[in-house]
Amino acid sequence: MTVKNYVETVLQPKIQGDGGWIEFESLDGSVLTVVFRGECSKCLILHRCVEWIEEQIKQDCHKTVKVNAIRKKPYFQDV
Amino acid sequence: MAHIKVVRRSMRPEEWTDLRFGWLKRHIYADKYEIDNLMIRDARQVSEMEFEYYSDDYRPLKKGDMYFTPDGTAFIKADVNVPKELQGKELWFSLKTAAEICVKINGKYVGGVDPNRERMLITPYIDDSKTLHFDMMGYNRSKPDDERNPESLSVRGCRQIFEGAYICTVNHAVQDLVWDFELLLDIAKSDLFNEDYRNFLNRELNNAMNFIDFDSEELTGVDEAKKYIDEVVYANTNYKGSGDVALIAHSHLDIAYYWRRIHAVQKNLRTVLIQLRLMDKYPDFKYTHTQPYIYETLEKYYPDVFEELKEKVANGQFEPVGAMYVEPDCNIPTAESLVRQCLYGQQTYERMFGKRVNNAWLPDVFGNSWIMPQILKKSGVEYFVSNKMSTWNDTNRFPHNNFIWKGIDGSSVLACVPPTHFITWNAPSQIQENWEAYIDKDQGGQTMNMFGYGDGGSGCTEEMIELMHRFDKLSVMPKCEHMGGAEFLEKNLKNNSNLETWDGELYLEMHRGTFTTKSNLKRENRRLEYKLRDAEILSLMRKEDNNDEIRALYKKLLVNQFHDILPGSHIHPVYEDAMADYRELNSALDKIIGTGSKYFNTLNFERDALTFIPNKKGTSTRYGVKGNWIVPHIPAMASKSLRATKGDSSWIEIGDRVETPFYSISFNADGSIASLYDKKLDREWVDGDFNKLKIYTDNPGNYDAWDILPNYKDKQIDVKVEEPLELCELDGETATFKTVLTTEKSRWTMLVRVFRQSKGIEVENIVDWQEKHKLAKAEFACNVLTRKALCDTSAGFIERDTHRNTTWQQARFESCHHKWCDLSETDGGVALINDGKYGVGLLENTMSLSLLRATIRPDVTSDMGMHNFCYMIMPHADNAVAAGINNLAFQYNVPLVKSDAEWSLPDFAPLYLQAAKLSENGKMAVIRLSEQNGTRGTIKLDKPVKLLNMLEDVQKEIDTIEYKPFEIITIGIEE
Repeated sequence: MTVKNYVETVLQPKIQGDGGWIEFESLDGSVLTVVFRGECSKCLILHRCVEWIEEQIKQDCHKTVKVNAIRKKPYFQDV
Repeated sequence: MAHIKVVRRSMRPEEWTDLRFGWLKRHIYADKYEIDNLMIRDARQVSEMEFEYYSDDYRPLKKGDMYFTPDGTAFIKADVNVPKELQGKELWFSLKTAAEICVKINGKYVGGVDPNRERMLITPYIDDSKTLHFDMMGYNRSKPDDERNPESLSVRGCRQIFEGAYICTVNHAVQDLVWDFELLLDIAKSDLFNEDYRNFLNRELNNAMNFIDFDSEELTGVDEAKKYIDEVVYANTNYKGSGDVALIAHSHLDIAYYWRRIHAVQKNLRTVLIQLRLMDKYPDFKYTHTQPYIYETLEKYYPDVFEELKEKVANGQFEPVGAMYVEPDCNIPTAESLVRQCLYGQQTYERMFGKRVNNAWLPDVFGNSWIMPQILKKSGVEYFVSNKMSTWNDTNRFPHNNFIWKGIDGSSVLACVPPTHFITWNAPSQIQENWEAYIDKDQGGQTMNMFGYGDGGSGCTEEMIELMHRFDKLSVMPKCEHMGGAEFLEKNLKNNSNLETWDGELYLEMHRGTFTTKSNLKRENRRLEYKLRDAEILSLMRKEDNNDEIRALYKKLLVNQFHDILPGSHIHPVYEDAMADYRELNSALDKIIGTGSKYFNTLNFERDALTFIPNKKGTSTRYGVKGNWIVPHIPAMASKSLRATKGDSSWIEIGDRVETPFYSISFNADGSIASLYDKKLDREWVDGDFNKLKIYTDNPGNYDAWDILPNYKDKQIDVKVEEPLELCELDGETATFKTVLTTEKSRWTMLVRVFRQSKGIEVENIVDWQEKHKLAKAEFACNVLTRKALCDTSAGFIERDTHRNTTWQQARFESCHHKWCDLSETDGGVALINDGKYGVGLLENTMSLSLLRATIRPDVTSDMGMHNFCYMIMPHADNAVAAGINNLAFQYNVPLVKSDAEWSLPDFAPLYLQAAKLSENGKMAVIRLSEQNGTRGTIKLDKPVKLLNMLEDVQKEIDTIEYKPFEIITIGIEE
């Protein structure tokens, strides 16, 4: 499974289950850029989730990536 | 002298008290023994009781480890030998966590910990072996409303750091003093209490705290501080409060919201366990719990806990409330759905506990339809409770808290709209706030104050009860009385001749977007409501005994009418679950309905409106299906073979104007109508934008899925015409004109149909909707002078003002309607009939039908994608009632079915056959009839029948049905 597929089909449903949202943006070498929206966008401890995502990708896709997390907050929470 | 702002650098005495209060709380636990052999296994819940495990086995869980995963369930276990030094003592299990954890000890679920409480008593489970086997099941779901509990806000998130689990003893002297300080500091900090008393408290709490020596190795002075508070603070009766407040323990549990329905099973388990343990400790504690559906899940999956619950119901501590199966949205479901909420809800309680309840408990629903009082009353419900109108209304203060609510048919229930939120934590300031906000102090009796954490369940805490036990020591507090929900209602509302009456819908001046958000849910719900009706009618006609199957299907629909599912205020997986349920329902109902050689009319009046009949060889297209437009002329509850008439296109002339047998029409390129001249009535119907698609920016803020702001019309976005309107399909019955409209992101195909044999003009919309923060409306400025619009409620119509004279009309800039709305003069008007839309704005001569929204919270992709929906513009002579608009709207929404079954009962005209089913006991046919036009009359029957209530209890025998405006009548017919 590609990293893109993994983000979209394996990680996304789990993140959604907590009101969050993740979108694959790009994979440039080992840098995986993802966009976090929903509850993730304002999560105070998102970095922990990012580390977990890196671990999951390593475990299931056998790839070592560094996640570049982009938060897209809704306008009403962008303060 | 110049004023200089002084910035204090030294600590105020109150801050010194607060600081020491924090130190005091660190001494609550006397002994702590860390459980260091915990093991954890991660999983994800995939159905109500199924888990997909991430590993084959458990791994160690140590303090400082990360635990929980997104949407994850963690199973945590340990065998703990109670240390010798703790044996014989009162022991507690302590685990500080942001998660929601159900705790099983020695094979039995016994309690829970969550962000609102970190410990539970374990002494009762310690046997001679002195070994405890812990099995825990935890969930860590984002709970956006935890802003109400600020302590849990900082720890919200999917990945948590494990802070350790302990066996401990509690220093009760310290704990008692902590509760005293919690109580008194809340008053000291609240502007709602007398300033002099607060100064007194600040002084004396400081004095009390001075007894404690925080530098001593063993905290000394605690008993002296407690004694000082008793003798100085509680003994002071110089400051008198006023008020009479009833404290009702309750936990609001959203069946789905920021979590899926499957997760509510364990949220409920945890909530129930915690309340049961509180009942063990505090024999005077009573707790109210709603939603028979959620009781069913406990009974099914955790029967041992359910048996415990039943014992507490029997002893009066655990109180089932709320006759409805779930707490449904009370705007969008039809009358029959609301009847079934009561029928199946009461049936469930009766089976479980041997009794029904006499109240509807709907604290969080987004306004309540005017049709409800009658449905409640005829379902054994005397009392109604709903909080939102008092605290959420954005414009007007709802003028009652305890009152009589009169319904559309004139029947009434006793109602309570408590003055404050349904989630409070029993702080004195919250109780005082409730009393001050209570508007019926002089005639309503006590005011209702609910306490207990909620939304995702959780409920009351030890602290809430301990605080409550101290209230009568404080002369400054209102008089407080802890009681059950039904007890409050009986005590204060029953036979209260002073109550005032509210005659009308309970319109919530907020959450107006929920009539429109997630339009697919609304449309499927509408379709399935009528499909269930058809399935029951046909099953009855064929004498099939499929009550169990139909009841199960109905319940599935009812659960999805929950007030955060059908209104659209939920995360994406909840939407996916609902749509999956709808697909399942659709398929099951198709099987029940079956097929036949003829078309059967399940409506109990002649089907005389032009109807689209699918046919692969048809010459028209609708919803992507080929077929023909036919006037069926099928009598009530009868069947007939239908054949399309072959005709040519001579009925229509298409030039600068389109000439049909009914109209001379001037279309604009975007599908809007510049002129709709009625040839028969000799009048023009258009006076401004008519069938005009308008897309507005829609930025309501944090409550994105819920709200539309009154200024939504401030900014409109450009809608471009990509393909101007032109004829795309023509046969002997209909001509379809097509236009394609676009925005930067979306593509909107509008198909406008005119007919040879119908005055209706149908508009089909095929939309690739990719907007953000937009509201699409179709606007109809009619050449009609009226100050009232009529709106269908599903059980009669409601008149709504179209002016903005007062704040009450101004606040209702968007309201809920069902199948149709209408603007009419006495001799003619324009009706708008829809097949699944509910939101409408009514202003002067304009109806604006809300079509689609594009919200991003709670669901980032809400309403994105393809949509296909229709509405019918129906100009008419006379007013809407005389023009038979309601019957046309039924025909528009209830398709003909293929069946050879035969109806052997009367047609009960002119009442609407709302339902025909086998009785719940299988012994008679139940017929539910609804007067929809505001008329009065009688129907003479051939033979006597039983008059029933909506729970199918026999009231009396009748041979004539006497009906009055908007009445719903249920009868039972024995073979």
